[in-house]
Amino acid sequence: MGAVLLAGFSSLAPAYTVTLDPASPKAIYLQVGAGGFTADYCGGTTYPPQHATPDCGPNYGGGTPENNATINLVSGTVASGSVGNRTAVAMTTNSTVTNSYLDGYVFCSVPAQLYIGGFYRTTGAATAAASVTATVPAALKDATGDSIAFSQIAWTSSGNGDSGAEPFSAGTFVSGGVQTVGSMASNSWNESCLTFSYLNTVVPPSGTYTGAVLYTMSAP
Amino acid sequence: MSSRTAPARTAPAFFFALALTIICCAPSHANSVTIDDSGTQALDPSVSMRWKTATPARSAADNVMIGTTIIRVRINVMPWLKHSGRIYLSLPAQQPGPIRLSWITQGRFLPGQVQSGNRTLIYSGPITAPFMEDTLTLQFVVDGSHMQRAVPVTYHFEMDES
Repeated sequence: MGAVLLAGFSSLAPAYTVTLDPASPKAIYLQVGAGGFTADYCGGTTYPPQHATPDCGPNYGGGTPENNATINLVSGTVASGSVGNRTAVAMTTNSTVTNSYLDGYVFCSVPAQLYIGGFYRTTGAATAAASVTATVPAALKDATGDSIAFSQIAWTSSGNGDSGAEPFSAGTFVSGGVQTVGSMASNSWNESCLTFSYLNTVVPPSGTYTGAVLYTMSAP
Repeated sequence: MSSRTAPARTAPAFFFALALTIICCAPSHANSVTIDDSGTQALDPSVSMRWKTATPARSAADNVMIGTTIIRVRINVMPWLKHSGRIYLSLPAQQPGPIRLSWITQGRFLPGQVQSGNRTLIYSGPITAPFMEDTLTLQFVVDGSHMQRAVPVTYHFEMDES
């Protein structure tokens, strides 16, 4: 009799259901030179962090990305006797970023290298990587309108402790174009250190030539 | 000669297999009954799942998502009143793949955690009232690579009668 009672009761018993809803699952972050986080990476300023990575972010006293409007400068000077001699001239940056915001690891060397990095967060199965493009003017210009093609600037890519392919590979600017300069696999931190150089294969008039390259990240 | 020996060897093997069957299937969930939890309420039945870390790891894919909700559990244990029982929180294997559920309580039930496809003891002792109540703070942990859209997740309470 008891068994019959329990069986009948069991048939009325519902299972409880909640809905797991991925909230704001997509995020992208790109940092070229200076970046910004709301707090220190992983809750500390030393490497390695005080607790095991990847337990970073706000729940662990670490930070979340924020905007940084800084535009860093990469520059070089060609000595008067060397103009156009086809010996590349190393360029340096005014960026002071050496540490990765992920975990504080000292990844780049300044002023020789410009940090570039970020991530692409998305739910679901792995998707195509997010791409990073550079929008490049046709030329650097001086105050009198003289110009040097942007294709005179090239870069190599590396990072302290890195081996294998860099997410942002070496290249040369394409004058007046939009070119892909890197890609970011989903849900992983991607970073490189770029070392720029002026190829010095042309003989422009003396002057200070400037131009701005815009880096853009696009996620699928 | 061989045709005579064969039956003699078969019989012990049969009994051995039968004994194993009885041992393996009899005790654990034979008297488990799903408990009526229709009185349970969630403060928010939609659990907002967020990345465990705002920033992903450098090398391997970092896909862990977590979400928390509070439920007021009210289970009907009247059929076992004045008996002793063991109550489990059971999380069946289901979409969106492996789920880890952990919870803290206000003291009526035991805190604990469970992986989907398993159950965990939350109460053992006498049933002294027709209903048992507690407030549980649940935390779900899932692999974000399985979370393309909102997914219903079901769990229930089971009574093992003693």
